[in-house]
Formats: sequence, C-alpha cells, structure tokens
Amino acid sequence: MSATDIPRHAMPERPVRRSLARQVLPYAMLSPAVLVTLAIVFLPMLQTAWMSLHEYVLFRPKDFDFIGLDNFRAVFHDEVFWISLRHTLIWIGVTVPAQLLLGLVTALLLNQDFPWRPLARALIIIPWALPSVVIALMWAWIYDSNYGVMNDFLLRLGVIQSSVPWLANPDTALGAIMLTLTWQGFPFFAVMILAGLQAIPKSYYEAASIDGASAWRQFRHITLPGISGVLVTAVLLRVIWVANSFDVIFVMTGGGPGYATYTLPLYAFIKARTNLDFGYGSALAVTFTILLMIIVVIYLRRTGKALR
Amino acid sequence: MMNTTIRLGLTASILALAASAASADSTVRFWYHFDNADNPMDALVAAFEEANPGITIEAENVPWNSYYDTLYTSIVGGNAPDAAMVKMFAQPRLLEMGALEPLGERIGAWEGKADLLDNLLDLTAAADGENYYLPVQYVALYLYYRADMFDELGLGVPSTCDEFREVAKALTRDTNGDGQMDVYGFGFRGGKGGHDHWASLTLSREGADLVSGMESEAAVAGTKFVVDLFREDGVFPPSAPNDGFQEIIGAFKAGTTAMTIHHIGSANGMVEALGDKVSAAPVPECGGGHWTAFGDESTAVFSTAEDKDAAWKWISFLSTAGNNTMFNEATGQLPVTKTDSAGWSLHPERFVTATMDSLPFANLLPNRSETSDFVNTVWPVAMQRALTGEIAAEDMNAEIAELFAE
Repeated sequence: MSATDIPRHAMPERPVRRSLARQVLPYAMLSPAVLVTLAIVFLPMLQTAWMSLHEYVLFRPKDFDFIGLDNFRAVFHDEVFWISLRHTLIWIGVTVPAQLLLGLVTALLLNQDFPWRPLARALIIIPWALPSVVIALMWAWIYDSNYGVMNDFLLRLGVIQSSVPWLANPDTALGAIMLTLTWQGFPFFAVMILAGLQAIPKSYYEAASIDGASAWRQFRHITLPGISGVLVTAVLLRVIWVANSFDVIFVMTGGGPGYATYTLPLYAFIKARTNLDFGYGSALAVTFTILLMIIVVIYLRRTGKALR
Repeated sequence: MMNTTIRLGLTASILALAASAASADSTVRFWYHFDNADNPMDALVAAFEEANPGITIEAENVPWNSYYDTLYTSIVGGNAPDAAMVKMFAQPRLLEMGALEPLGERIGAWEGKADLLDNLLDLTAAADGENYYLPVQYVALYLYYRADMFDELGLGVPSTCDEFREVAKALTRDTNGDGQMDVYGFGFRGGKGGHDHWASLTLSREGADLVSGMESEAAVAGTKFVVDLFREDGVFPPSAPNDGFQEIIGAFKAGTTAMTIHHIGSANGMVEALGDKVSAAPVPECGGGHWTAFGDESTAVFSTAEDKDAAWKWISFLSTAGNNTMFNEATGQLPVTKTDSAGWSLHPERFVTATMDSLPFANLLPNRSETSDFVNTVWPVAMQRALTGEIAAEDMNAEIAELFAE
C-alpha cells in the first residue's frame, strides 16, 4: 500500500480546520477597523442622506417631516447655491494648478545639489505643517488694510496708490484667500514630486545627455513621465482636500463680504451649524458630494487612459 | 431607657447620613461665557458651595463664538446643562425647543426680587408673559468718541444723524500729509454683531420697524444713510464690511477711528489705552427717534435639570447683591441689583452716565424666532453686500422684511 492510496476519510482533520481559520482570521482581524469606519464614517453619511430628505430644523427637534426631494429642488432654485458653486469651481480650478506648478518648481530646485539642501527641504514643509487657523489668522493680518505688511510693501513699491482692503473688497477677497491656500498647499506637491524625482534613475539623464537631448527635452521625456504617477495621485488628493476645505475661508472672512467668498462646503456648514437648518444643509452637502464624485470619476478615467 | 436612647441616637445618625447622602447627590452643571482670563467663577462657586453644603457646581466656560451652537446641539442631544447664561435673542428658540423651566413662581417667592433694578424682569419676560430668565448683568450701547480730536477740530458731540455725518466727515483726515487717510470718522462694524450700529442709525427713525416696517421710506432712508457714509463720504475705514468686535475696538484704541459704538464692557480697556482722550455719549437721534441696543444677559434653568431647586439656588445666588458685583467684575458689565448699582465704582463715571442716559431709549431686538437668523446671517450678508455696492439699500431692507414675513 503506497502513500497515495490513503482513503479520503482517513485524511487528518487539522488542515481543514487550519484553512478555515485562515479564511476567517483576516475578517476577524479587520472587523474592528471596519466596524469603527462603518460607525463613524458610513453611518453619518447615510444619516446625512436621510436628513436631506426631511424638513429638519434643530430648534424644532420634534418636527422631522419627510419631504422627498423638496430640499434638492430648493437647492437648484437657490441663488446662493449657484454663487457658491461658481466660487467652488474657481477655488479648485485655480488653487490646485497653482499649488501644482509652485510645488513642481520647488521640487526641481530642491532636487539640485546645493549646500544646506536638507535644511531647505525641512523648511519648505512649514506652511503645510501649520494649523489652518494659524495660517488664516496670519494672512488676515498680512492683508489688513490698516496695519498689513502686504499694503505697506505694495505702497512702498508704488504698485498701489492707497491701501487696498483685500479681504473687505468682493473683487479681491476670493483671490486673496486662494493665494493663502496656494501658499499652504504647495509643500505637499513639492514633497510628493521630490519623492517621485528621486525614483528616476540618474542613468536615464546621462544617456539622454550623451544623445544630445536639451534640458527641456530631458524634462519632457524623462522627468514628466517619471513623476506622472505621483502627479495623478497628488492632484486627486489635493482636489478633494481643497474642495472640502473651508476652515481658512471661515476664519478669514466667514464667507463675506456678502457672498463673495462662499463655497459650497462653507454654505452647507453655515446653513446647518449657524441657521440650524440641518435638512437643507444636508441636501447641500449631498449635492456637493455627488458633484465632487462626478469630477473625480471623470478625472480618474481620463488620467487612467493617459497613463496607460 | 438606655436602650431607647441608643435606638434614638442610631436612628438620628442614620437619618443624618441618609440626608447628607441625598443632598450630596445634587450637582448643578452650569455653562457660562467669560472673555476675561482671570475669571472669578471659582471664587463664586466656592462661596456658594460653602453656603449650600450638599450642592456641587460644575461651572464650564464655553467659548462665546460657538456658545449657542453648542447649547442648542447639547439640548437636542439630550445632554443640556442644568442652568446657563443666556441672552434674550435665544429665548424664542429655547422656548420652541421646550428647553426652559418657568421661573415666575420662584422669582415671586425670592427675597432678592425687590433688590433687582426696576423693569428688568419685564424686559426679560417671554411673549407669553412668563419669566424664564433671571437677569444677571446688562449694558446699553453708546457712542465712544475721541474727546481730544473733537477739541482739536472744535467739534461738538453729535446729537442727531445730520450732525453725526458732518462731524464724521470733519474727523476723517490725512494727518501727516502723505496722501493716505490716517483717521476715519467712525469705526463701523460691518461683520457679524454689527446690526446694533446699523439699528441705531436706522430703527430710530419714525416708521422704521424690524418686523413690519423695513420697507417703509424711513427704514430705507436709514440703510441708505449708513451705505452713503461709507460709499459717498468715506468716513468708515475701507475694511468696514468685514470688521468685527476686535477690529472696531482695536482701530479705536489705535487712533485709526475717532468714534465707534459699543458698551461699557470695553470702557476700562479703552481708558487703559487712551486715558482721558476717550469719552462717551448716547448715540445720535435719527429721523425723529432714538434707538440703542440693550445688551442683556440672564441665567436660566433648563427643563431637563435633575435638581431644579439646586439650579435655581445657584442662579439666584449670582443675581444677589455682592455676588453680582463679583460676577460683573469679570465681564466688565453692570450689576442688576440696586444695592450693587448704588456703590458702583468699577468703571469711570462718564461711561456709567452714558449708559444711564441711554437706558430710556434702549431696546431689545424683537422676541421672535427669526431674530437669530437676522443676527447671524441675514443682516451681516445683506449689509456687506450693500456696503460693497452689490445691492441697493432697498434690496437689503427687502431681504430683512422677507425673513420676518415668513
């Protein structure tokens, strides 16, 4: 009788139990994290969606009337929604590319050899590491029309003839805050791109320069393809973060003057937290989430194709 | 006999133990907001606990910026404090939520009632006539002005809107000849909380009324007057549309503005910065009427409080002579008891006089649910849009009328 002839029922039970354990174990190990995520992320999300279908004003907690899509209909007839949406698009469309460009230039500079390079690399992180509220207060003082250094500087240079109330003028307020956010966010791009640059083998550049490729062509054909993966991810993350961030706006202007610096997340926040209209605030938040998801999906499809 | 004595003694001590256990259970959670860093609440709590053994006070200083947001959410979430500092504008909403405990009977039976300043209880009564609030401090808004600048230019303190405009124009000037304005006539608060400035210049007018008369000619003229001061006359600093409390007080102390409107709470800080150069007077009379804001602060017991008697004891303690002085030392406002008011010496006299002179025409905003939205969003947004020329004065008043018409 050879070993292969052992009847099936005589197989030891242990391996079966072991493989079962192996199947169950990952779920068992993951479930605490998943449960916590479900409880603190998905449950509130579902709750928000549910609230958006109701008329729910916090100071009348007993009235929780189902009104279907009425809140959403109201959203699309709301002048402030469209103003906020326009500002949100400008906000994302200008801030993210500006951060990307500034970050790219910074990363290219930091990738050069120069004395004190590690120090420069550490210092560049500072804007990113500061809390948003600190940044917002700091820039609010920079822009101040009575004491701000920005006005003082521009007056001395003769660029402007009289102090400009940067944050109190509806034509300049949004731009001023976008400049603040660009300053805050560019180190993120710089660090990500720097990591990407360091992953490109030096030999590529050596081969290219032997072939007589100019600096621009080296950048175009070696550097850019080398960091494209990093860029796609970084841009995606930044679009989502910038779109959702309203802390800097909230501290600097609170949305004012008038609606000049309202963005959608800020509008939803003010509606829910200040006006206590949680139904309408939720509808705004849900609408914004759907719009953002559409942008993200389109972006991933297009860049995914381009990368392939 | 011996047995009976022991038994009696035992019973007594058990009763005493039970009694102390029962009263030791009472904890009053109290929310308040003080800007002052060296706040004397601990001293008040200690004094109260000593006088009322068995009641523990957990006093929590909640930041002002999110005070009402936090309060409303805590009530809805079933975690409301037992008692708290509250303002009149929040009363309709708190009542709508069923959150307030009626205090009328308790106030009626309270020995401190007679010592409260006249008509404070009428001012803080709810629309249904019941008292849910117990006043703890008050202020009235008045005009701060730079006496030295007025003297230098030979100007008199303005008593009407027209005089106010002339004076503000004269005070707005370039003092060092560099082509830049260095002093502005009036520090207008265009951001949240600035409705009092606007109201003094607008709601004072005959025919202007927040709830039913915002689209009247007088009310539109009032708003237009404010907008013109900024856009035509340029007597507010250019940052006025966004300016809040910090900015208007800071600019006045720094000498960037020559007048502004606020209450006695900032008087000591102003004197510290400017000394005798700062003085005060009632706000000007406009369009045939006089209006200034009455700044109220009361305490209330919540309907969910576990031990309402203990909560009442604590809040009535704060509004009793002596304790009320201690309380107002921290907030820089004025006491609500006759005894404390009589010997009041914590503010220079000219500011107390300006407050007293303002009381006959001091008003509260309408006791309505919409008032919160008016204060927090509708007024600031509409005012900023009007000041920056996005909408006309009529449009601003129409937006306010629409809110109260709902």
